[in-house]
Amino acid sequence: MATVDPTRSDPRMRGTARQAIVLVLLTALVLLVCAGDSVRNAGEELEDGPVKTMVLAVGEPAGWIADTLPFAAIADGVTGWVSSEDDLGSAGGGFGAPAPAPAGTGGETGAGAARVAPEAFGGTREPLRSLLVTGDSMAQPLDAVLARRTADAEVRTRRDAKVGTGISKTDIVDWGKLAGEQVAQQPADAVIVFLGANEGFPMPVGGKDVECCSPAWAAEYATRTRAVIEAYRRGGAKRVYWLTLPAPRDAERAKITRVVNSAIRVAAAGFGAPVQVVEAAELFTPGFRYADALDVAGRERLVRDPDGIHLNERGAELLADRLLERLGRDFVLEG
Amino acid sequence: MRILLFPTIEFAVFFVVVLPLSWALMPRPHAWKPVMLFISYAFYAAADWRFCLLLGAITGANQVAARGIVRVGGGESTAGRRICAAAVAADLALLGVFKYYGFFIDEINGSLIQVGLGLPLPLASLALPIGISFFTFQAISYVVDVKRGLLAPAPLLDVGLYLSFFPHLVAGPIVRAREFLPQLEQPRDPAKVAVGAGVMLIAIGLVKKVAIADVLAREVVDPVFAVPEAYASADVLLALYAYTAQIYCDFSGYTDMAIGLALLLGIVFPQNFDRPYRARSLGEYWRRWHMTLSRFLRDFVYIPFGGNRGGRLRVMRNLIITMTLGGLWHGAAWGFVLWGLLHGVYLAVEAQLKGRAPGFPVWARWVITYHFIAFAFILFRAPDLELARSIVVQLTQSGPATLWTPLPVLLTLLVVGTMLLPPRPLDALRARVEAAPAPVLAGSLAVTILFVAATIPSQGVPPFIYFAF
Repeated sequence: MATVDPTRSDPRMRGTARQAIVLVLLTALVLLVCAGDSVRNAGEELEDGPVKTMVLAVGEPAGWIADTLPFAAIADGVTGWVSSEDDLGSAGGGFGAPAPAPAGTGGETGAGAARVAPEAFGGTREPLRSLLVTGDSMAQPLDAVLARRTADAEVRTRRDAKVGTGISKTDIVDWGKLAGEQVAQQPADAVIVFLGANEGFPMPVGGKDVECCSPAWAAEYATRTRAVIEAYRRGGAKRVYWLTLPAPRDAERAKITRVVNSAIRVAAAGFGAPVQVVEAAELFTPGFRYADALDVAGRERLVRDPDGIHLNERGAELLADRLLERLGRDFVLEG
Repeated sequence: MRILLFPTIEFAVFFVVVLPLSWALMPRPHAWKPVMLFISYAFYAAADWRFCLLLGAITGANQVAARGIVRVGGGESTAGRRICAAAVAADLALLGVFKYYGFFIDEINGSLIQVGLGLPLPLASLALPIGISFFTFQAISYVVDVKRGLLAPAPLLDVGLYLSFFPHLVAGPIVRAREFLPQLEQPRDPAKVAVGAGVMLIAIGLVKKVAIADVLAREVVDPVFAVPEAYASADVLLALYAYTAQIYCDFSGYTDMAIGLALLLGIVFPQNFDRPYRARSLGEYWRRWHMTLSRFLRDFVYIPFGGNRGGRLRVMRNLIITMTLGGLWHGAAWGFVLWGLLHGVYLAVEAQLKGRAPGFPVWARWVITYHFIAFAFILFRAPDLELARSIVVQLTQSGPATLWTPLPVLLTLLVVGTMLLPPRPLDALRARVEAAPAPVLAGSLAVTILFVAATIPSQGVPPFIYFAF
């Protein structure tokens, strides 16, 4: 049998296992001192389980060290120039900010969410000049399909999917903060939001964390959703289209999705025509029963990704048809 | 799930625990092997615990087959050949069901409907177990090597560890059984560990993936491939060049990290990339790009089909079949099939022209080869053929160049240009860095990680491209 152990002849085998361990631990030590807060934040974002326990076991003390010593701030200062974007986390502004007006359904939600009277929003049928398609990974590839389909209609379509984010997790991206910044940077006549694949995280209400998927959690989710809608409206969006989520394959995830969809419907109610819920859940999963395929023009076609959560390209095309129909009702689509 | 991604805090914490544990147990293989097997399965279970059942079933079935081949008289006997064929067929069937079921049923059903028939099979989009394309091929390599007499059946524990070993589990490299299993026969020598090389590879891999591949994807490639209609020829061309750099840095970055992590654990993996865009022919490119897949296709598809034996047409046929299957291996889409077919046809033509134009300048060969690779990637990257067509159409449209900013242009030039430099000085520099004292290496790695982490956007590190395969 012609088998050879390649380590015997490898000239790179110059070190020892002890050196490897010391080196990795030294690296870890430097990183804990300079970026321990990142470990803690990452741990807090994880779903409950052994991985979260393991990361937090390291992250809690590491975060304390980073908070106590000045090295984390120095490292941030030194590496900040290569950072790809502004801080969109919950620190400062966003859902955690105090509301300037009396809160609606309670909780901690603010996002500068001055409650705008729904009656203030009038009807419109003007040309659609700018469209923002946003959300988490659910918004992909819908955003690209819509951008392609509106390219000839002289619509400036901006795609801004924040993958891995959610209304109920604010450490990395706080949607209460992001929504306002999105429309402040580049105003949009209409905003399409497809968000909710990463939900189920505890949210603070009245100083205590409420767990998914209690009525208090759903109420806080609806309040936050409303704050995001209001941010878009204040930014000048004439229409906000918020999509419900098709049932996912996984039963545990489906429980969360069902509550998220209910919260979306509650949040949008009362705004009238300017804020519309687009029932992607009903389109792809009638009766909220998971399905991979759908009858499209008389032929069964796959519309979901193999992960059992997202839409595939064909599913996105189908949803884009529905959305363009809505947009065509509310705006003039030129071209 | 994020633990499967090397450039994440979750994986870093996982590895900091696993490395000392592995070396602490190394002198006792009876403890080390089951613990590493458990760790690797736990790692895989982070994606979905049910995938572990599949991995376990593949391990068990191939082990039964390997032992069966030896028991009936080896791979030369008729029964041995049959057992091997059955095992390979079962592996491929499993791969086919998980990876291609929905695609083929959809396509066949569509064709039947056109002639007034329908297919009674349900259309389903099955969850694709991460890494199935890699560990299935490794399982095949084990059984076939046993059948060919190149390897004796290993203990079940060793085979289990071979297929599940976490550094290569989800995206390769495709390590051959006879490269991995001998390393399990004796405990790794704690006095012979490639520390410098391992750390260097991890640092390089991180930079390639996070600071180059992901930046190019965000800045140029993803926008153009999402809405090609919004960009004119100059931008589309930049996206094609940038994609060659992105996919190389993404995949080779993953491979570098996998090889580096394995080295720190005392295990050697084969090289998977060797400056592929330096190639002056497509044949040379495939000897430098995804080398572990290339040699698998050569040994398990091309040669069994006849390889270079037979007439000119037969060789051409073998090349085209091999490369088309290689394309299909990447995923269930016509784009991959056509990409493989295109490479096969080019290789077949190239083989026929070999030696016929000795005076053809080297630089021209390089230009043609690189541009063929870049343009063929349109089929690979575009999610469907309609979008691939749009990309080609936009290549002919004049308009402003909006994406030609310094960062993506420089990164693309850096990646492709570095491969064209003479390799010896770079290798010498690398060897000197690898020989640096441990504290210097630790400090350098930490600084690299801090800088690389600062470039990560709010939504985190996107999965490696080859995770989808």
